[in-house]
Parts: sequence; C-alpha cells; structure tokens
Amino acid sequence: MRGPFLRSPQSTSHLMAQVVVALLPIATIAIWRHGAPAAVTLGGAVTAALAVEIAVRRAAPRDLSAVITGMLAALLLPADAPPWLGAAAGALAIGVGKHAFGGLGKNPFNPAALSRGLLMVLVPATLFAPAWAWDGVTMASPLARESGGTAPLLSAVWSGDVPGALGTSAPWAVLLGGLALVALRTIDGRVPLVYLATVTVGSIVLPGSDRIVAHAPWLVADPLLHLLAGGTLLTAFFLLTDPVTAPFAPLGRVAFAAIAGVVTIAARLYTPYPDAAALAVLVANAFTPAIDRWRST
Amino acid sequence: MSLRARLAQWIGVPTLVPARKRTADRAIERLSPSAWVSVPLAGAAPTVQVGDVVAAGALIARSQAGARWQRRVHSPYQGAVVSVDERAIVVEGAPLPAAAGSAQHTGAAGLAPSDIIVTVREAGVTGLGGAMFPTYAKLGTSVDTVLVNGCESEPYFTCDHRVLAEHGDEVRCGLALAKRAVNADHGAIVDREAYYPAGYERFLIRDELDRVLAPHALPRDVGVLVMNVQSARALCVAVCGETPMIERVITVAGDAVGRPGNYVVAIGTPVAHLLRVCEIDQARAATIITGGPMMGRALEAGAVVTAGTGGLLALTADEVAAREEVPCIRCGRCLEACPVGLPVAKIVERPGPEVLRCMECGACQYVCPSAIPLVERLRLAKRREVEWD
Ligand code: SF4
Ligand code: SF4
Repeated sequence: MRGPFLRSPQSTSHLMAQVVVALLPIATIAIWRHGAPAAVTLGGAVTAALAVEIAVRRAAPRDLSAVITGMLAALLLPADAPPWLGAAAGALAIGVGKHAFGGLGKNPFNPAALSRGLLMVLVPATLFAPAWAWDGVTMASPLARESGGTAPLLSAVWSGDVPGALGTSAPWAVLLGGLALVALRTIDGRVPLVYLATVTVGSIVLPGSDRIVAHAPWLVADPLLHLLAGGTLLTAFFLLTDPVTAPFAPLGRVAFAAIAGVVTIAARLYTPYPDAAALAVLVANAFTPAIDRWRST
Repeated sequence: MSLRARLAQWIGVPTLVPARKRTADRAIERLSPSAWVSVPLAGAAPTVQVGDVVAAGALIARSQAGARWQRRVHSPYQGAVVSVDERAIVVEGAPLPAAAGSAQHTGAAGLAPSDIIVTVREAGVTGLGGAMFPTYAKLGTSVDTVLVNGCESEPYFTCDHRVLAEHGDEVRCGLALAKRAVNADHGAIVDREAYYPAGYERFLIRDELDRVLAPHALPRDVGVLVMNVQSARALCVAVCGETPMIERVITVAGDAVGRPGNYVVAIGTPVAHLLRVCEIDQARAATIITGGPMMGRALEAGAVVTAGTGGLLALTADEVAAREEVPCIRCGRCLEACPVGLPVAKIVERPGPEVLRCMECGACQYVCPSAIPLVERLRLAKRREVEWD
C-alpha cells in the first residue's frame, strides 16, 4: 500500500457539527424571542428532516447534514408560521431538495432555500405575501413596512426585535456564528465577504424603483439596513457557503457570491418581495454549473 | 484520542500537512548493526561470488560498460558474501567502527571537474532524496546554480536537518565540489522551515530563485542543479574521504516507536532489524511505513534500507486519523491544497491530460474531509492517460 497515510482531522462530519454548533445560539434566541411557535417550527423542521433522511437512506444518518438543513429551513420561515409549516419545510428540504437529486453532494440547489421557494408556491399566499400588494395590503417585516410607515430602527433590527423570519431574530448571533466558522475555516470566508460587499455597494448605487421610493423610501441608500435585515447575514454565512451547491473553484465562488448579492439587492429595490435572500441563493445555485464550466481551478 | 487531538479537530484547521518534527533535536546515532545486509543492486552486475570475503567499502557490483547510467555498488560490511542474485547481494559481517562521517574534506581547490565526476561515479553516489538517480550524471550538466535541498522531503523527517546541523562543513564542501563540477557561479543550501511539499525541486526553485519550471521541464532547463543534503555530503565523503556511499542517515519516528531518532544505517540493513533495535511496538502501530507518511509505502516483508529510504515510521491510529470514505461535498479543499493547482475532485471524476501534472504528493488527499482516496484514483487516471497517448 502506498501513501499518503495521514488524514486531516477536519472531516466532513466535523465540519457539519461545527455548523450545527454555530446555528444553536441563533435557534435558541429565536425560541426565546418568539416562544413556543418558534420551538415547534424549529423542532418540527429538524425532526421531519431527520425522519425523511432516515426513511430515504433506510439507515441512521451518517452525519448532521439533515439537522443543518432542517434548522436552516426553519430559520427561513416567518416567526408566526402555523405549527405544521416547519415540519413541511424540513421534509421538503430533505426529500425534494436533497434526495430527489441523489443525496449528499449531488443536489444542485441549497435544500433549505429550495424548501422555502417551494413553500412560497405551494402554501396560501398570505404566508408569504409580497411586502405590499399593489392594492396596499402589507406585510410586517423591517424591510417591508406599511406603505407610508416609518423606517425600522437599526438598533431594533440588530437585536432582532422586529417581525420577520426566525433567522432574523438575532443578526448579531448570526454574524458571530458565521465569523467563528470563517475563523475555523469551516466555511469559505470569501463567499460572505463578496456577497455582503455586493449588497452594500448595490444598496448605495442603485436608486430603486419608483414604487419602492414611494412605498418604502427607507430601503433606498441604507446599506446597514440591507446588511442586517431580511436574512442577509444568514444567507451570507450559512446558505451560500454550502459547498455542495456553490461552485468548486475559489474564483467561481466569488462570482457566485456576487450574483447572489446582485439578485438580493435588486429584489429588494425593484420587486415587492424584499425578503428574497433565499431566492437569491436559488438563482445563484442555478448559475453554479455554468460557473464551474467557466472556471474549474 | 487525546484531549489535544480532540481539541484540534475543533479549533485547529489544518489546510497544510502538519510537519511533526518531533525528532528534530535527536542527534545522529549509530545503531547496533544487523548481522547481515542485503544491498540492492539497481541493475548493476555483481562482481563478487558467494563465499568471497569483502572489505567494507569494496566494490561488489557495477553496471556493464555500455550501460547508459553507470552504477557502482559497494559493500557496507566487512565480511562474507552469502548470497548473490541479480537484485541484491547479501553480506554477513559488520561495518567498520566509523565508516564515513570523519572525512578530511579539503574542498574543491585544485580538482578538475572531470576528476570530481569520475570519483563520484566510482563511489556510487546517488540521489538520497528518493529517486536514487546517479549523482555523477547530474554533475555532467551545465547550470549556473546549485541548490542543496535542506527542506525535508516529508513530514516527520528530520534526518537532513540533523546532517546539516552536525555535518554542515561536509555538506558545504559537497556543494563547493558540485559547483565546481558543473561550473556554477552560484550555490546555496536551502534550510528553512517550509510547508509540505516545499522540498519538491520545482517549488524549491520557484521559492528560492523565482524561476518557474514548465510542467514537464527539468531543473537543468532553468539552469539549476538540486541536490539532497545527504547527497551533497556523500559527494564530499567520496571525494575528500575516499569512501563510497554505503550508509545514510534515516529518521525513525512515530508514536509507536520506543526509540525515535536519527540513525546512521548501512544501506541494505533489513527493516526487521530496525523494528527491533528502535523498539517499535507493532501492536500499537496502525501503520508501519518505509519512507515518509505522504509518499512512502506500507512495510513489506523483507524490506531493506535503500539509498532512497529517508525514514521508518510507526504511526498509531491517532496519528493516521483514518476514517471511512463519504461522498464528496465539493468543498474545494483539494484544489486549494494542490501545489500544482489541479481541480482534484473534478479530475478524478473526469480525467484529462492535466492529470499528468500531478506529482502524487498527497496533499489533496490529506485535506479531503470526506476521506476520499484521491491519490489512488489520480495514479489510475495517470496510467490511463499515458496508455491512451
Ligand atoms: S474531493 Fe474531498 S477535498 Fe475535494 S472537493 Fe471533494 S470533499 Fe472536498
Ligand atoms: S493532485 Fe497530485 S499534485 Fe495535486 S495535491 Fe493531489 S497528489 Fe499532490
């Protein structure tokens, strides 16, 4: 037998365990802030994800990937979701997002983001209504207040004291967990860096559509709001960094993160769906094969 | 698993292969010799017969007159020839008390390049870095710079470092001789803390001289001759000490070794003897390796120390951190670890001609979190690529 005989101690299952540990504070704060419904959503999503994983593989889970996917799927859901929505998201994420494509390593779309996208199509529109229907019906999230409403307080956004998805309950915890993963080199730090930079630059230079200027003027030219609200940080550190659905080569990942950043900021400034970070992930995922062909090293 | 190893899994993030130079402070020692040596011939033809009595350092095999590479093999032991075949000659006996290492080196002054080359050829000096190419042939080239490679070729190895520390004058003399032989103006001993695989010729030349080798080019194409530290020393010992190459220094290391260290060992020494005298605990060892942990081989029955054997390692299960292969997560670590920048995960799926640039250093496989046996697949892909050409 020939070498190499040594292996790095950083195994795939360790990487996943590190991500779960980084997500735990976020989930804990979400439950603390939103109470039992959040616990039901998170618990339901993780349980359903694990159940589908076990059912499909007919074996105990090999790693924590189902737990990560379940947690992320739940964190993308509204805090006031009905009790069954978390379980539905977790099951969709693993069943459709992962195993329908052949399992770990083969799925082209981030399973959590895909489950959120599917739910938007499948469940009653009120759950994921646009920020303001053109008739004036509104959704309460800091990125999408009532038309004519006031700009959200940045301090409230930072501490998570605003309505929105579970994952926005603690932007500071998302940032800390994400930075820890970068420091541990669990995730590729270039991805969040480029994504957040693109969102920042886009929020400064893009003027926004007339409707946005009329209905939600605070969305224009406020980079900090765009960075902290609407799941931007969760997308940057936990969704785009999923290696399976990101391009393979470093430069490819940079392009990928930039695409996601452009889609995120464009959705916020030009469509009525400001909480579109998960959709931005799906769009960027769709570019991954092309990026990989463009740049393989 | 130790608490430290457990912590390292969480806190340390190894993207580089760890150096693990735990024997760096162990001075070179002589081990009690084996009763016999089985000297590999590498294609040279025996000049002795069973029953002959040979002196230590006596010629026992040489290449045919017309052979392209002239090899000379000398007996490390004083004693009786007990077996001869085309692969090895076995000599029973004992080494002289201190064979090499005490050469009166006089430097290169007054020697013609051709004298140096002939002496080196007759002394059977070969590269000691692993490829075992005859050194005289390298000295026949014309280059402007000679580098003596003091970056150990593999993790765990500290033998070259020790030779430099303890026999630096001989290494410098060898460098002077080599410079004279190839008529080079510049020369340097490269001895620095480096990453694996910085000791590869092409990286040494790039890092040290800023000269870049094309994928299939040789160092001499960019005017450089690279010698291993121990080859340079052997050159000095051959010219100044008039002693042929019959021994080398090896590192014996790993957590399953009772007496780790750096040892002078006669070429042809059976590894089984080293296992005994270095007190290697075969029950504790998960793997015993001749050579380094990245490019070495699992110990085979009857193995002996050759000129290219840099070490003998006995690693515990904790050290090798073996685990089950799981699916590729496309994390890109293999690409980022590869010193020649190959997109390894993709290449093993769909091999192309670029796979021939792989030097099988093993860095990609080391960092792969999914424990995929990448090097095995790369070797296979390389073989296919060559066959199809
Ligand atoms: S082969 Fe290993 S190191 Fe390379 S991308 Fe796949 S999992 Fe990562
Ligand atoms: S592909 Fe070859 S050269 Fe690159 S890291 Fe792997 S073994 Fe080394």
